[in-house]
Formats: sequence, structure tokens, C-alpha cells
Amino acid sequence: MEARREVGRVSRRAVLRVLGLLGVSAAAAPFLAGAPGVAVGQGNLGALQPEEKVDATMQRLFGGRPIKDGSSVIKMELPLIAENGSVVPITVEVQSPMTPASYVKNIYIISDKNRRPLNARFSLTPDMGAASIGANLRLGETTNVRAIAELNDGALLMAKREVKVTVGGCGG
Amino acid sequence: MAEIGKVRIRIPSSIKRGDVVRVRSLVIHPMEIVQRRDGKPVDKNYLFIHKVTVAYNGREILEAETTQSISENPFFSFTFKPTEPGMLRITFLDTHGGKYEGTAEIKFA
Repeated sequence: MEARREVGRVSRRAVLRVLGLLGVSAAAAPFLAGAPGVAVGQGNLGALQPEEKVDATMQRLFGGRPIKDGSSVIKMELPLIAENGSVVPITVEVQSPMTPASYVKNIYIISDKNRRPLNARFSLTPDMGAASIGANLRLGETTNVRAIAELNDGALLMAKREVKVTVGGCGG
Repeated sequence: MAEIGKVRIRIPSSIKRGDVVRVRSLVIHPMEIVQRRDGKPVDKNYLFIHKVTVAYNGREILEAETTQSISENPFFSFTFKPTEPGMLRITFLDTHGGKYEGTAEIKFA
């Protein structure tokens, strides 16, 4: 009985010590973040795309599935030289039928040199009539931009183009 | 950022049945990027749009997962093929729980 109480006391002390440490770090955090008033400790950093090399992204998204060269069917339109990396317009058009039997299921846009390479994933349906998507990207530096189309039968097609970026526009 | 969440949708002025229509949409949004302190990313609740859905007459036609490597005031364009008149609804969801919607009525000329 006595021993059990002792155990309880020790663990409570440990808990208090941990709480004390948390208190200190929470007080210091606003200075570290440089933005007082921001709720620290409930961030969503872990939920963002992980920081990784583009090979790791490709492995994570597609596993070891073979990716065919789709440069003849995927039409990418984006500037050769982007003066401002924070707004780089891109359109990706996949020349494919869009019928319930055969359509483009997903289009991924991936920038090799961005810290978090996946820019966006679009899930398409046959109702769209054509597989054509446009968006504005942020590019950190001169990089290859890949557009990968996943057809409804699971085949993967890829096209890529290099964009020269004069001023980077991506801190993340 | 008083205008945050304002959605603009542009569709062609004249649409015929069976046309493939190109829709352009834009939402006013900061799309926060990850901040760094001493080379380490700061963990905070970043505000950016992470999901976009497009529905026509309640039926989903396009869904997109977006990241902070999409520009501020994100712009998206896409095509769709209306077979009947109806309402196109684009919904943007952000990481702070914000939900921004825009609608456009599709009528045949």
C-alpha cells in the first residue's frame, strides 16, 4: 500500500515537471516564431506535404509503378522564363477521351526543386468533357515541372518542362 | 484582406448544349507559406486552401487537393461539358475551417 502511494507521488511529480517544461517552452515560443498572438502548439505543419526530394515524392505517390513518357499526349503550357516565381501560370491538357469507359482520373503537378514538390492534385471526372486544368504555381527556383496523368486504368503518363525562375517565390 | 474568400467565376457569355466550356475561377486568399526560423520550419496553423471542389447541379465533377505551392489568390481553370442548364458551384476549403463558395448559372443560348 505504502509502496503504491510512493509510486503515485513520483509520477505526479514527474507530470508536474513536464508541465513546467511545457510552460517554459510555450512562453518562449512566441519569441521564436516572431509572431506573438499566434496560437502555438496547434500547428498543422505535420499535415502539410512533407519536405523531401522529388524522388521521394514520386515514390510516395506512385510507388514503383512504371511511368510512361506522355509528352506526345500531355500538352503543358507554362512560361520558359518566369520572372516572378510566386505566380507561374500553367495549363495541362491531356489529349484523351473523357468517357466513363476511358478518362483521365488524376492530374498531378510536381515541381522538382520545391521543398514540398507536390503542387496540386486534380481528380477529374468524365463530365468535364476534356482533361484540361489551369492553375498558378509557386516555384522556389529554376526547376523542372512535371505533369503526371493517371488514367482510369491505372496507367501513368508524364511530361516535364523546365522553367527558369528569376526571383523565387516559395518559402515553403 | 477584407476581401478574403471572395470568389470570382468567369464563364463564356454564350454556351451551346454539348459545348466543352472553359471555366476560370479565382478566390482571394493569402495562401500562407511555411515560415522558417534558423532554417527550421515553424509549426503553426498555416492558412491556405487545401481543397477545391466543383459541382454541377449537385454532382461533383472536379476535386483538387492543393498545397501552399499554389500562388496567393489562387486561380484555377478547368473545362466541363454541360448537358443541361443548371448551377455550377465551386467550393474552396481552407485549413482554418473557412469555406468559400461561388456559383455561376449555366444557360444555353
